[in-house]
Amino acid sequence: MPTTEELRLGVDVGGTNTDAVVVDSAGMLVAKVKIPTTDDLCGDVEQGIARLLEDPAVDPMRVRCATLGARRATNAIRTASGLRRVAVLRIGAPLTFAIPPLVAWPPELRSAVHAGSATVAGGCEFDGEPLAALDEAGIVAFASAVGSGAAAVAITSVFSLVNPADELRAAEIMRRKLGDVPVSMSHEIGVMGLVERENATVLNAALSGVAAEVGRSFQTAVERTGLEAECYITQNDGTLMALEYSLRFPMLTIGSGPANGMRGGAHSSGVTDAIVADIGGATTAVGRLVNGFPWESLPPNSIGGVDTNFRLPDVLSIPVGGGSVVLGAAEQWANGRMNVGNSLVTEALCFGGPTPTITDAAVAAGRATTGTCPVPAKWHAGLAQHLELWDGLLAEAVDRVRLGADDLPLIVVGGGGDIAPDSFPGVREVIRPPHFEVANALGAAIAPVSGHAERICASRPDRLRAAVDEVSTEAVGRAIQAGADPAHVRVVDVEEIPLTYLRDPAVRIRARAVGPPVTFTPKSSGSAERARRHLA
Amino acid sequence: MVLDTANIEAFALGCAILSAGGGGDPGIGLVMARHAIAESGPVEIIDPDALDPEALIMPCGLIGSPTVAQERVWSGEEGAQLVAAVEGSTHSPVSALMCYEIAGVNGLLPVMWASRQGKPLLDADGMGRAFPEMQQQAMHIAGIAASPVLLTDGRGNVIVVNAAGNRDAERLVRSCAATFGGTCAGALYTMTARSAAKAAIRGSVSKALRIGQMMTKRRSGWPEALADETAGRVLIKGRVTEIERRTGAGFSRGHAVVDGTGACSGRRLRLELQNEVLVALEDGEVLVTVPDIIAMLTLADGHPVGTERLRHGQRVGVVALPGPDVWRTEEGLQVVGPRSFGYDMDYVRGVTGADH
Repeated sequence: MPTTEELRLGVDVGGTNTDAVVVDSAGMLVAKVKIPTTDDLCGDVEQGIARLLEDPAVDPMRVRCATLGARRATNAIRTASGLRRVAVLRIGAPLTFAIPPLVAWPPELRSAVHAGSATVAGGCEFDGEPLAALDEAGIVAFASAVGSGAAAVAITSVFSLVNPADELRAAEIMRRKLGDVPVSMSHEIGVMGLVERENATVLNAALSGVAAEVGRSFQTAVERTGLEAECYITQNDGTLMALEYSLRFPMLTIGSGPANGMRGGAHSSGVTDAIVADIGGATTAVGRLVNGFPWESLPPNSIGGVDTNFRLPDVLSIPVGGGSVVLGAAEQWANGRMNVGNSLVTEALCFGGPTPTITDAAVAAGRATTGTCPVPAKWHAGLAQHLELWDGLLAEAVDRVRLGADDLPLIVVGGGGDIAPDSFPGVREVIRPPHFEVANALGAAIAPVSGHAERICASRPDRLRAAVDEVSTEAVGRAIQAGADPAHVRVVDVEEIPLTYLRDPAVRIRARAVGPPVTFTPKSSGSAERARRHLA
Repeated sequence: MVLDTANIEAFALGCAILSAGGGGDPGIGLVMARHAIAESGPVEIIDPDALDPEALIMPCGLIGSPTVAQERVWSGEEGAQLVAAVEGSTHSPVSALMCYEIAGVNGLLPVMWASRQGKPLLDADGMGRAFPEMQQQAMHIAGIAASPVLLTDGRGNVIVVNAAGNRDAERLVRSCAATFGGTCAGALYTMTARSAAKAAIRGSVSKALRIGQMMTKRRSGWPEALADETAGRVLIKGRVTEIERRTGAGFSRGHAVVDGTGACSGRRLRLELQNEVLVALEDGEVLVTVPDIIAMLTLADGHPVGTERLRHGQRVGVVALPGPDVWRTEEGLQVVGPRSFGYDMDYVRGVTGADH
């Protein structure tokens, strides 16, 4: 057995459980643990890692890379808490006044985030012609007006995906005036559609504090366990980004949990095109894998009541998981969210507890063997009814996510994976891959690093080839910024999508570059050091 | 009757339903109209008969690509610029604005402009639904000239198009919209209240509002309720099992298949799509065609589904609503019948009720 081989560690902090795994360089599982999730992110991660390190198969000296999937960003938006106040700069006057920044946001979220806004002259038309010269004096005045009231900045310019120059220049001015505050620029966040892109950019800026806290907790936990590893956060396309990069793009973590589950399921089943159901304790996420990566949803997507158009996996969520309590009329139950959380092993009937859960229904139906004792017969009829309803919910989600593709397998992952049926209408087969219960952590551990870039090339077919090259180069640059090994990064995907309903041709260009993460070596401690300074 | 912050959302819902799946996303239009009303006040909805017969009516809306308009967000001043241009060319004051198209985003932009201008909005429109072309207007059938067409890009540039005929106007105006960066605001078929009373499709605004309010109150059974309200009929309830889209320069065509579920099990409906849903067939038989309105609603919450957002596995109800009477005449069918959209079939009236 080679002793110098690098190991990678993956941790996924779910709503119910925290999973952690160690894999070898071939992606084979070396060790796994599952512990209940608490409110203490740092503590959960530390405990998860510590438990892994108890396994004699894990040599701490060989763990060079640690990855984390966490759900903090989504929760922060849903509860309007822990968000930074954002100076919202829009570039596009005299246009765009019909919809002021944040005007359609839920009031509570807006008041938690809004530090002030301004709309100044600048931006361009669809073909790149300037709308107006950039009003630099207006930007300086806005920076002075918001001053220290803003802990982050969001900048959105009309057609910045055609030409981002005004956003870049405005960012420079805002940084000069406000000092070292995080600045989010819309051309790096969203797609065409000004208001939705601005919303996504503002949320991204508002989440910079959450990202810093997650990064700090992760790094602290890793250090406390004595590991010397580069730290990465998972993105919602099933790839990784370095901590420093995650501070710039916290929005890219939203939906990363299901993405990790899908990637983990693909990895351990060896299947690259499938539907994946990630069944947790309280919810089930159903998505589709295409070429081994999660399929993207069609924007706009609503996050916490705000319409956005940033990249998200196409995932349908069902509010039912293995710990869902089975009570009352079946129809009402479908919308209920009662669950025993991580107390399944003390609460559920199959563990001798008092509470009927959907896991009990699966056990009573002979589908699962979970538990320590039989489910009392008096419950069977009611449980069977709910199990049928659950199967119906899952079937509908699978049907919607497969987008008409026939003959795909269904991969079942997650701690509640036992409750899924063994066969299913509309899918070829149901696969429960090895280690399915820790697939999310596995997906994090085996993930590559990626960088994306996007531009619109309008009215200039002669410029298209050059534009494609520029976008590809930018994607590579961003992958390297995100922590990909520069020696092995490559462009894996370039899409050229013609925009419809236009007389003049216009093409949306998207490129994705992927590479393995840079892992810890004494030389690379520089970047870890930088990240530490950033997070301090 | 007024459109205010309390009912504008219901009105937008009605506009989306009348769009037959086209017309652009009314969501951004709703945000603009609501904001304008909050700042500048509610919009009075006025019947043509309540105005001086010589009063000038300005039909208006978006011309060009609704997709580009999602990025190139409106200044809100387009209405003022159009009114000034129309008054400059006609030398008489504009008394009321009108939606040239009640459906989708074009049902809402004139509400924003009317609110900002403090002018009433006529309870009428030119289409009674959504159509892709400018000459598909009731005013065109009535012999009213589209010209002079006034166009503005919202930052002070104005183009005046004086075309020889309405089809020429369509061609020239598309070209101007492209020059304006893909989208612009336009005023066309400017006419007197007397003409509007005869030529426009009356009651469109109150109809959209009534449908939207009725749908908002419901908690279930939306397809049936919509059919009841509009003298229409539910064609099928089921799931989308097939979608095909072909896009090319300036057009989008395709079809969708809905397989019946529940009481509709065993049935299969085929929908022919362009920007709008234009034809519904079952077992090779044409059930209903344009100009009747074929609306798709999600079964879970009754929301209208645009053709661009339709997806596999979606649970939908498909409802046919009678199209406006003007389109069911011989002259009307020449402009908006199935053949004008390239389908080799006659108009099939899928509903027995009259439009009201």
